[in-house]
Amino acid sequence: MKGEKRKVILKEKKVEIPLAKEELEVVGKQVIRKDGYEKVTGRLKFGADFDKAGFLHGKVLRSPHAHALIKKVDVEKAKALPGVVAILTAEDVPGRNGFGAIIPDQPVICGEKVRFIGDGVALVAAESEEAAIEALKLIDVEYEPLSAVFSPVEAMKPGAPKVHENGNLLTTVRIRKGDTEKGFQEAEVIVEQTYSLPFVEHAYMEPDVAMAIPHEDGTITVKGPMQAPFTVRRNIAPVLHIPISKVQCVQTHLGGGFGGKEDSSIDIGVRAALLAWKTKRPVRMEYEREEVTLSTAKRHPMIIQCKVGAKRDGTLTALEGTIYNEQGAYASLGPIIPPAGGTHAHAVIMLPGPYVIPHVKVDGYLVYTNHPYGGAMRGFGAPQVNFVHESIIDELAEALQMNPYDLRMKNCFELGSVTATGQVLDQSIALKETMRSAADQFEWFKRWRPPPSKEEVEKVEKRRGVGMAIGWYRTSIGTFSDGCGANVYVHEDGSVILHTGITEMGQGSHTVLAQIAAEELGVRIEDVRIVVPDTDIVPEAGPTVGSRSTTLMGNAIIMASQAVKASILEAASEILGVPAERLVARNRLIFDRDDQTRGVEFKEAARRALATGKRMMGQGWWAPPRPSFDVETGQGYPYFVYTYNTQMAEVEVDTKTGHVEVIKVVACFDIGRAINPILVEGQIEGGIMMGLGYAMMEEVLLKEGKVQNLNFQDYMIPTAMDAPEIVPMILEDPNRYGPFGAKGIGEMPNIPTAPAIINAVANAVGVRIRDLPAHSEKVFHAMRGRRG
Amino acid sequence: MSKSVIQMEVNGRSVSLEVEPDEMLVDVLRERMGLTGTKVGCREGECGVCSVILNGKLVPSCLIPAMKADGGKILTVEGLEKDGELHPLQKEFLNKAAIQCGFCTPGMLLSAKALLDENPEPTLNEIKIGISGVLCRCTGYRKIIQAIESAAKSVRS
Ligand code: FES
Ligand code: FES
Repeated sequence: MKGEKRKVILKEKKVEIPLAKEELEVVGKQVIRKDGYEKVTGRLKFGADFDKAGFLHGKVLRSPHAHALIKKVDVEKAKALPGVVAILTAEDVPGRNGFGAIIPDQPVICGEKVRFIGDGVALVAAESEEAAIEALKLIDVEYEPLSAVFSPVEAMKPGAPKVHENGNLLTTVRIRKGDTEKGFQEAEVIVEQTYSLPFVEHAYMEPDVAMAIPHEDGTITVKGPMQAPFTVRRNIAPVLHIPISKVQCVQTHLGGGFGGKEDSSIDIGVRAALLAWKTKRPVRMEYEREEVTLSTAKRHPMIIQCKVGAKRDGTLTALEGTIYNEQGAYASLGPIIPPAGGTHAHAVIMLPGPYVIPHVKVDGYLVYTNHPYGGAMRGFGAPQVNFVHESIIDELAEALQMNPYDLRMKNCFELGSVTATGQVLDQSIALKETMRSAADQFEWFKRWRPPPSKEEVEKVEKRRGVGMAIGWYRTSIGTFSDGCGANVYVHEDGSVILHTGITEMGQGSHTVLAQIAAEELGVRIEDVRIVVPDTDIVPEAGPTVGSRSTTLMGNAIIMASQAVKASILEAASEILGVPAERLVARNRLIFDRDDQTRGVEFKEAARRALATGKRMMGQGWWAPPRPSFDVETGQGYPYFVYTYNTQMAEVEVDTKTGHVEVIKVVACFDIGRAINPILVEGQIEGGIMMGLGYAMMEEVLLKEGKVQNLNFQDYMIPTAMDAPEIVPMILEDPNRYGPFGAKGIGEMPNIPTAPAIINAVANAVGVRIRDLPAHSEKVFHAMRGRRG
Repeated sequence: MSKSVIQMEVNGRSVSLEVEPDEMLVDVLRERMGLTGTKVGCREGECGVCSVILNGKLVPSCLIPAMKADGGKILTVEGLEKDGELHPLQKEFLNKAAIQCGFCTPGMLLSAKALLDENPEPTLNEIKIGISGVLCRCTGYRKIIQAIESAAKSVRS
């Protein structure tokens, strides 16, 4: 019976296998999302929907230069404009003039120099938006342009323009496993290629907005769509030179985040806070779409050289890779957070893919340039390197004349495999099963044929092809600070309030976390209310990133629920005269597991618990098993558990135009346990569509450092017309450290899609695209240029 | 040009307002009437999250000067629910989990409504075309399409 055999999931304790699905009441069910009604009726207030009355309007003056010294900033004319309340320059920053998710290297207001087109040079606050815009035009800035650098390879050369004083090489991460020289000697076939990946925009539908309200008592409130309110708070306090305890960050529902609003909410939040602080008035800032694209973080572009070797039978012997990871002007989420946090370390760790390879050598360089900066975007460095390992594995399969499925199956991870970082995968790993299930569903072996010759391609107008890719993705972020807390309050009527700092971005975490609380307490989902994350109220949760929310916060919620449930069971025990250990709570009832006719309502027990002075709240705190990682050797256990995925795609290529249509994608995931299967499917479908955009059309175009495609007219993302048939499939190999066995899903679906599609294009028309995106023209020219 | 007074019927309620020549319909709805269900994502007619139904036709309200809506009948997301009863599209968006962040949802619902009003039995491809003017970055469209398919069924039956 439920409640009896499972212990709190703690890393020090012996853990037991999570409950079987049949025993669960709320978890595993397709509960309708809690914010759904507000969303379909238009009632839900996003950041831009709050009343603007009483707010000043804040604006940022942005640099038109990619790299320049600031000689003079003249604000007199702008100040004199009616309606203008304040114009701030670098000298006006009371504390640290810098912000950033990891390193505060981005000036709130640039003082000495600008490092990319879009850098902030002055801030304006005015009574009306029109006056603020007018004031921007009246600020006179004198620049002395410097030579700029726009490629990570160029930026690493001696004598390259220095973006930051300490040089352009920000971080180096390596993997050294075995001896690759030996590994390549053992190889009978070697493939070596270079791949490149573009800057990509998150394109969340809701542009950024922030509202900052200073208070009489020296505190300040900042509201807005923050993906990580605690990170925003951590940045505002030192800029204003006040303690963290005086800064309150309140999240408004995010209209999409995808990693982008981890950074952008710091950028806009810090600036709005500064304006409010200096003017002592509430200030509202909104970045228009063009401004969002121009100035906020993007997915890192990378140039990656990769070489793999294998025996004739397909056994991998060695892999070498060099990653030139372009950070852009500021560090954002690129560098290391010890031991293995940050995009760059993650990219390096993931480059060898989910394969057992005895000899591995990777050198990853993270380099500043004068471009906009790379930050977190769904997959956090993994989509780039996954594209590389899944492309090169297919190229190797072709060289070996093997079915790419068989080559993968021969080498990929299974229980007990050792990764390139030396980590033993000892649980919750059903990668091979995802391959088998996807292949069955897709009918891979019936549909896969070796790629056609040039003549064959030219014979027909449209050709279909199939491709596959596999992947793995961490749950958690690989930092020492990856803990999170939750508070659960039970009230005398049986209703429950849950305090969690994990943010709702659309992914459905507030529904899933409420399901976990309801299941553990034995109440219904509608009994649980999650309050909006507010740093004054909810315990530190860390950021809502790294596909960590369900698993890490879920555990904290289970612990908090168990703590308060003890009081309720004690009260029920007093009412029923049955020992508390024998009591089971489910679906608003508490009953004797040995005699199910003896029971009491949950709310009755709650009422007695309060009346008899029992503790009515529970607290939980959970952090994953301590990660380890050495940046010089790349050895360690960086992340405690991984999600696994196989994707298979069918495409149709127009041989006359190069146009590619994605017909179908089958995607199978091992996610431990789906707390809410329909929401999991939502993550899968949305992620695949984003991956399709990455493969086919998305690229932030830059010319001399300037973004060319600032709005949706030029920056294309997939529309309903691009939507293929998607078959989402879920496998559950329970994670022993996860709530009810769960692990993360948010990012994984976005990762193997692009290589699966590109492999399908190669399979259809025999040409391989190694630099994304594969738009029609590129495919067309590749077909034209094909020899033989 | 100077200010002028316009008359509109918004969600069945008639209103008359004085508007500036450069004032867009979306701002009148959101800022003047408090109908913030209509969203702004790009202000250039590309994302469709500002879509409303004007005289039976789906329009991007960010591109329509308010003056042009004079005498018009407008439906926004706030007008879909009738007497506390959700529109079948709203119900199916909930049931099929066709909502994630919800920022595109108002525009999506209205584009689906405009489609079904004109074509109660759309094919898959017609649905795709019908909603292709509204971008959704979260869902991958599949569940939205499924929701529209089943709402079409329930409207017919
Ligand atoms: S805001 Fe109107 S189409 Fe984007
Ligand atoms: S649900 Fe987020 S944009 Fe559609």
